[in-house]
Amino acid sequence: MMTWKQVRVLVVIAMLALVAAACSDDGGEVRSVDGSGTATGSGSGSGSGSGSGTGLAEEDLSAETDNPLVLQAVDQYKAYVVQQIEDMIDGTTIFTDAIRAGDLDAAKNAYAPSRVQWERIEPIAGLIEAIDGAVDARVDDFEGVDDPAFTGWHRLEYILWELDTTDGAAEFADRLDADLATLQAEMADLEIPPAAMAIGAAELIEEVSEGKITGEEDRYSKTDFWDFNANLEGSKAVIELLTPALEEANADLLAEINAGFAELDETLAQFKTDDGGWLLYCQENDPFPSPLCTDVVIDQDTIDLLKAQLAGLSENISLTAGVLGLQ
Amino acid sequence: MTRESSRAGEAGRQSGLSRRQFIKTGAAGAAFVGLSAATLGACSTRSDGDDTTSAKQYLDFYGEHQTGIAPPVVPALGLMASFKALSPDRASLQQTFVELTDEVEGLMSGRPIPTRDEAYPPVDSGLLGATPEPDNLSIVVSVGSSLFDERFGLADKVPNELVRMPFLANDRLDPNRSHGDVLLSIDAENPDTVQFALRQLMRRRRRDLVLEWVVDGYTRGGGVNDGTAGAPRNLMGFKDGTANLATDDDASLDRFVWVDDSDGEPSWAVGGSYQAVRIIRMFVEFWDRTPLAEQEAIMGRHKDTGAPLGMESEFDTPNFSNDGGGDRTPLDAHIRLANPRTAETEKNLMLRRGFHYTRGYDAAGRLDQGLAFVSYQRSLNDGFLAVQGRLSGEPLEEYILPEGGGFFYALPGVPEPGGYLGEGLFAA
Repeated sequence: MMTWKQVRVLVVIAMLALVAAACSDDGGEVRSVDGSGTATGSGSGSGSGSGSGTGLAEEDLSAETDNPLVLQAVDQYKAYVVQQIEDMIDGTTIFTDAIRAGDLDAAKNAYAPSRVQWERIEPIAGLIEAIDGAVDARVDDFEGVDDPAFTGWHRLEYILWELDTTDGAAEFADRLDADLATLQAEMADLEIPPAAMAIGAAELIEEVSEGKITGEEDRYSKTDFWDFNANLEGSKAVIELLTPALEEANADLLAEINAGFAELDETLAQFKTDDGGWLLYCQENDPFPSPLCTDVVIDQDTIDLLKAQLAGLSENISLTAGVLGLQ
Repeated sequence: MTRESSRAGEAGRQSGLSRRQFIKTGAAGAAFVGLSAATLGACSTRSDGDDTTSAKQYLDFYGEHQTGIAPPVVPALGLMASFKALSPDRASLQQTFVELTDEVEGLMSGRPIPTRDEAYPPVDSGLLGATPEPDNLSIVVSVGSSLFDERFGLADKVPNELVRMPFLANDRLDPNRSHGDVLLSIDAENPDTVQFALRQLMRRRRRDLVLEWVVDGYTRGGGVNDGTAGAPRNLMGFKDGTANLATDDDASLDRFVWVDDSDGEPSWAVGGSYQAVRIIRMFVEFWDRTPLAEQEAIMGRHKDTGAPLGMESEFDTPNFSNDGGGDRTPLDAHIRLANPRTAETEKNLMLRRGFHYTRGYDAAGRLDQGLAFVSYQRSLNDGFLAVQGRLSGEPLEEYILPEGGGFFYALPGVPEPGGYLGEGLFAA
């Protein structure tokens, strides 16, 4: 889901850089593209940007930024991503083991928690495009629910909730485990371009604004609040790591971003459950009605407020790459 | 965002001034050959030889009234976008009006788009290139009654007649296309200009204004200010707007459109106008299967010429007083109910500024199109509501269905730089 957008952004940036380089010789700034990320990240998944990216990367990696605060943040973020993937595999194994054991309740309970880390690092994990499509695509990307290419969490979500069974789910559970193992292997070599880190923070908020607020992501399980919050956490993690650099570059912007996170947290707090989970995402006139929803959990006014808060945060986060001079 | 925008705004303002300066100077120099400033402004920035742009202008934002209500030229296209205000507090709402004003002024005056480092998203969408061409763009900012609820401490500022639009006769209001705290009405000649303006305006205060509904369409002209060529036709094929007020008839606008200080309205509201918006679906397939004689009896006009029934010309004034029995024009004909042409009903005149909309088709496979009706008037009771009351139960109702809209108050204009739209709302 995320991948196309992400890849497009990177590819476009790379293309612009090429065009600019072709037009003129300067390009000291322009060429400092995140070609590295495009190259490395797409090596396995999408071939789209790899060729052009590689040359740029070798030529310009050093020009991308020499801000030690940013470089330190990137190192820390890489470690964060690696840790998230490790935790994701642990959580997902609980989920897939329950499926293989035929324990429907345990599988349902493990579904939303298993996705948290994925949703935190989605823009970066999505750089491995083939994996993103295999593990997190929604039914809308396919002819129908029976399309064999419809795999991953949402295929399992469909089977567990809509079909109310674990029958036929084990093969998709195995596939999910295998895909995440592949992701882990490929991410080990991934170089995260500083700009991709900053852009990723913004993309996570876009994700919430597009997919979570509508309830389309987890339409069968109604667990969208889990993903919603995990996207925010992932974005927050980036900003936290970039905080020293942002404090230096534009402390006012950083304050506005943090205020944006804070007001979203405040709005979301009412939907937390005592055991650390989240209420079901049941809307007024729910576009994805479900028998799970016996009451409205989130009314339209609150959704509108979240839209405003997300939009305001998006605008501010979209400036971070510029403020830090990351291209 | 705020800092970037205001920085961009400052740079833009300077450039905008120089642009105006250029036009003014150019116009003075060229006066002897009879070129208008507008023409010169248009030509000076075009190079592709499209001479239809020669009439297009940057409209002056500043004035006692918002320019877009009764502009010197009524553009072809219209769009209305309604927003819910979600400002966390009154100060943020106030800042929203300050920034909307800056954006509206910049858009209308063709303020060049500033650039910034390419690591940032561009300041604008780029839809119109670096320098937006003159396109008769105007933007009207209006507020709904809901803005005056408990949220922002504006309850004592509400205009006397501003209420949430009730269900009127024949209405089936869709909550997803009705009401709103803030309404933007955008007019221009080209769709790119309209969309550009909408996107820039929305981007400016995304934390504060959440979009609720949009309607857009064409034939904005709607018979306004055009006494010779005649009114355009509505989607039912009839001339519509023949008897409308003219946008250059200042005396009539003063009398029927602008709220003044004798109206007993809150002082901040003087110079504004009540705006009634009605999204009126037309069942066009059904209408097209209706005999011509019945269509004409329902409307009260001849379909081909637009003349009132029994008369020759579109601009003939119907005389209902010598047709008391309705032999010539049925008593329940649309134009007769809407404007009975009596002394008592003259005060019900209003300025109509609607446009046609089309939005695909419905579940039954019927085209979903109609009239985005807009009227501006000094009094809702004397204007829209009086007319609507007379129309209640008219035979035309069988063919139309009001599905959305709302009552709004178009803010007074900003007389000169330094002020902002809605300023009076926030005065102590």
